Amino acid sequence: MAYNKPVPPQGQHTKPFWEGAKEGKLMLPRCRDCNRAHWYPRLICPSCHSTDLEWVPASGKGRVHTFAVQHRAFGGWAEEVPYVTAFIDLDEGDRMMTVLRGVDAAKPEEIRIGSRVKVEFEQANDHTFIPFWRVVEESEASEEGVAT
Amino acid sequence: MTAPNLRNAAAIVGAAESDVIGYPMELVGERVTSLQHHIQAIKNVSVQTGIPIADIQGVFSAGWTGELCEHLGLKPRYLDTTSVGGCSFQIHVHHALAAIHAGIIDIALVSHGEAGWSYRGGGGGGGGRGQISPAAEMTIPYGTFGAPSQYAHAMVRHFHRFGTTQEDFAHIAVVTRQWATLNPRAVMYDKTQSPFGGPITLEDVAQARVIAWPLTLYHCCLVTDHGGAVIVARPEVARSLRTRPVWITGAGESMGHQNMLEMEDFTATSASRSAATAYKMAGLGPADMEMAMIYDSFTVTAGITAEMLGLAPRGKGYTLWKDGDAAPGGALPINTNGGGLSFNHSGMYGMQLLVEAYRQLSRTAEDGVNGVTGKQTTATACVVNGTGGTLSTTGTLVLTSDDR
Repeated sequence: MAYNKPVPPQGQHTKPFWEGAKEGKLMLPRCRDCNRAHWYPRLICPSCHSTDLEWVPASGKGRVHTFAVQHRAFGGWAEEVPYVTAFIDLDEGDRMMTVLRGVDAAKPEEIRIGSRVKVEFEQANDHTFIPFWRVVEESEASEEGVAT
Repeated sequence: MTAPNLRNAAAIVGAAESDVIGYPMELVGERVTSLQHHIQAIKNVSVQTGIPIADIQGVFSAGWTGELCEHLGLKPRYLDTTSVGGCSFQIHVHHALAAIHAGIIDIALVSHGEAGWSYRGGGGGGGGRGQISPAAEMTIPYGTFGAPSQYAHAMVRHFHRFGTTQEDFAHIAVVTRQWATLNPRAVMYDKTQSPFGGPITLEDVAQARVIAWPLTLYHCCLVTDHGGAVIVARPEVARSLRTRPVWITGAGESMGHQNMLEMEDFTATSASRSAATAYKMAGLGPADMEMAMIYDSFTVTAGITAEMLGLAPRGKGYTLWKDGDAAPGGALPINTNGGGLSFNHSGMYGMQLLVEAYRQLSRTAEDGVNGVTGKQTTATACVVNGTGGTLSTTGTLVLTSDDR
């Protein structure tokens, strides 16, 4: 089935992220001066205000920081309600938003903040692969390498 | 009465431009976004003056202030995003001068970025056609539109951190509705105003349809029309009028983030900072407040904000409602108009807060429209807190009555 969820226009300075996503790699912007990764992608390091930024492949692992269950939505997502949105604390630091997979939206009380998650990508069109995060076992997330 | 003398109260100490201006595509082979123009110019003026970006205390721009502060990681003490066309920047300088003269800030940034050519045809002011903020780019895919879909995440984090429950926050909806039943202008005043009007119970809140778990309908504000206006005048004028003055004893503002993606602590807002500024100016503290008008876009907004304003310990904001302090006849009346939850919420609710705070402290809370008694309090000091965006920006006022 064709991907029917919102697909973002790609920005001026985020190309490496979308290029990485095509290969199943989660790319993060990192500052060469203070070595901190950040999210969302900046034009300037939000920590030290250096403009010497680079893109590096991330582990694709993190933990659930908080979540909510969406019962109303628009467009393609309206067909999927209820579904779980979440903010993910990346192992590299800072936070991403996502739709959480591997959880039961009908049982929010069973979803655990702090759960281990791994990134996966779904193809939306020829040049866009959208990252999603899936709750996994603690042990699975401590393995080396990134699942694709 | 002479106006305060602002002469030489501030100076422009640097001026710079973005790296490529004019026709960037023709010069360097790619378009430049408005945001890129802003950030480059800011970096360049920082380098020029030797003033670290982190030292900027006030940010002035034509509609961009929230986006810029978040991008730079600034937590400013003064936000001005006046956008009135090409003269906006002269006005920003004027505002900055006043803010500096008043002692609120020492260093102000006035910033401009407009990809008038690169993204021509998109109109002025905001982004322009084809441009997207990087935060939007990375959150659009997940289908969260509208405030409830975002705010629900804050309530879940509050549960996790403090062991609170949906029912704890439901008390806020129930008590706020009690106030609405004393206000004939409230949408939820009674069953004749709305089939959903009149008193509600904890069970009603729990059983209402889920909008974004854990927010049921009654955890969410109304969507209504509203118009309001207030007049602010200097003391000499205020004393000459037939209306009672309500004194602006303290004021403060701040922001935490623009996008919820950047909300550092999902259980806290910048109201802690804007309130600290306002209390300090007033020489008063939370213990001196005798009532509060707190932006209640959602129950969780009010609960968290009560904590930020120092009216309750961290994690315990909801107890003000649960224990009856906030209710009619309670020790600390809160949202005496019936709140955004049950009185009126037009999208931006800050004016409703101001109107009710004025009425309470000028002893006209029976509003002169219907003359029904019931909601007038005896409070002489009121903290008023507006919250904008997604728990993003805050403005706090400490207002006092003339008979205090």
